[in-house]
Amino acid sequence: METLRSVRSAAAWPWISTVARLGLAAVWLIAGGLKVGDLAASARAVNAYQLMSYDAAKVVGAIQPFLEIALGLLLLIGLATRLTAAISALLMVVFIAGIVSAWARGLQIDCGCFSAGGALAEGKEAAYGLDILRDLGFLALAGILVWRPHTRFSLDGLLMGDAR
Amino acid sequence: MSKGKRDRSTKARQIVEHQRAAERRRTVTIWTSVAVVVVLFIAGLVGWNMMADQDDGKVTTPTAAVDDGTAFAVGSGPVTVDIYEDFMCPACNSFEQASSATLKQLVDAGKVTVRYHPVAILDRFSNGTEYSTRSAAASAAAAQEGKFTEYHEVLFANQPAEGSDGLSDEKLIELGKSVGLTSDTFADAVNNGSYRSWAAQATEKFSERNFTGTPTITVNGEQLETPSPEQLTQAVEKAAG
Repeated sequence: METLRSVRSAAAWPWISTVARLGLAAVWLIAGGLKVGDLAASARAVNAYQLMSYDAAKVVGAIQPFLEIALGLLLLIGLATRLTAAISALLMVVFIAGIVSAWARGLQIDCGCFSAGGALAEGKEAAYGLDILRDLGFLALAGILVWRPHTRFSLDGLLMGDAR
Repeated sequence: MSKGKRDRSTKARQIVEHQRAAERRRTVTIWTSVAVVVVLFIAGLVGWNMMADQDDGKVTTPTAAVDDGTAFAVGSGPVTVDIYEDFMCPACNSFEQASSATLKQLVDAGKVTVRYHPVAILDRFSNGTEYSTRSAAASAAAAQEGKFTEYHEVLFANQPAEGSDGLSDEKLIELGKSVGLTSDTFADAVNNGSYRSWAAQATEKFSERNFTGTPTITVNGEQLETPSPEQLTQAVEKAAG
């Protein structure tokens, strides 16, 4: 029975990982897509965290959306899944740290996670707790992929020549 | 061939196949990882280039603009009050309602020079019509015709709600007419977005000064903690000595 169960779970993991991979790909594509149209606003969103000079924020704000879209596409096709997932996890940790620091300093900003954020609209409260929880969820998706990078419908699988 | 020998050769073949498969996995892992790093690097470069290109392009600065071409001045007093506002920002409107009388008084008494800096940081709150940029650009067009103060006032009096489409270009022109901006020059500037790049540049300079929200008010360079008429008066008196 024990072996049967482990065989079954071995068969299930690639599917679970596939869902995680496609989900994370969607997260990056949406997050990047929403920022890429207005890089000046993206720079202001980074600057609103007040963690670096505006010149540095400009660079980060301009590069970040393109990195996000690239990561999304790489995860979508499933290339070097473990590495792209690890980079995704690292970015999520950085984002979470940024939000925690903004929260701790009492800044009233939009996290700029799924928008080119910045200062909040009038009467809006920052929802740092929710932002962090959501990013932790994404971190978990990345974690699953680092742990079990084998997925269905991936370029990795095709190149490795395995039907697993 | 004995059964034992066949088993052994099958096993040997299996081991070789296994090794080959492992070798292939390793090669694939290395090269796909290299590909990923290259793709991410290129993506970063694209972002970098887009950023560098942003600063190019011609900017038409209204002739009346002061302070590095970012502001329009009212009055000529010794103390400088800088006011950074987005026409879409409700807190800016509240500040205007509460403080415009005080500001006028200070200007009339010859105590202050008020420099209005229109900035566009709230474009994301107008359903893609970029009202912040359009209104800031229109105010520059009004300044070019010598009517900034009047237009500034009428824009705040007619402020659209955050999350709405903002005022249409047509409405911006109509409001201009109501304060005497009847020339075709003004209407054309609004319709063609002649001062949009100016608005983007003024906003950029606002960020470079490390301001992140509106309204931001400084008195001789000192930022007010909470923009209110009382704080403003106090700061001006202190600055005047």
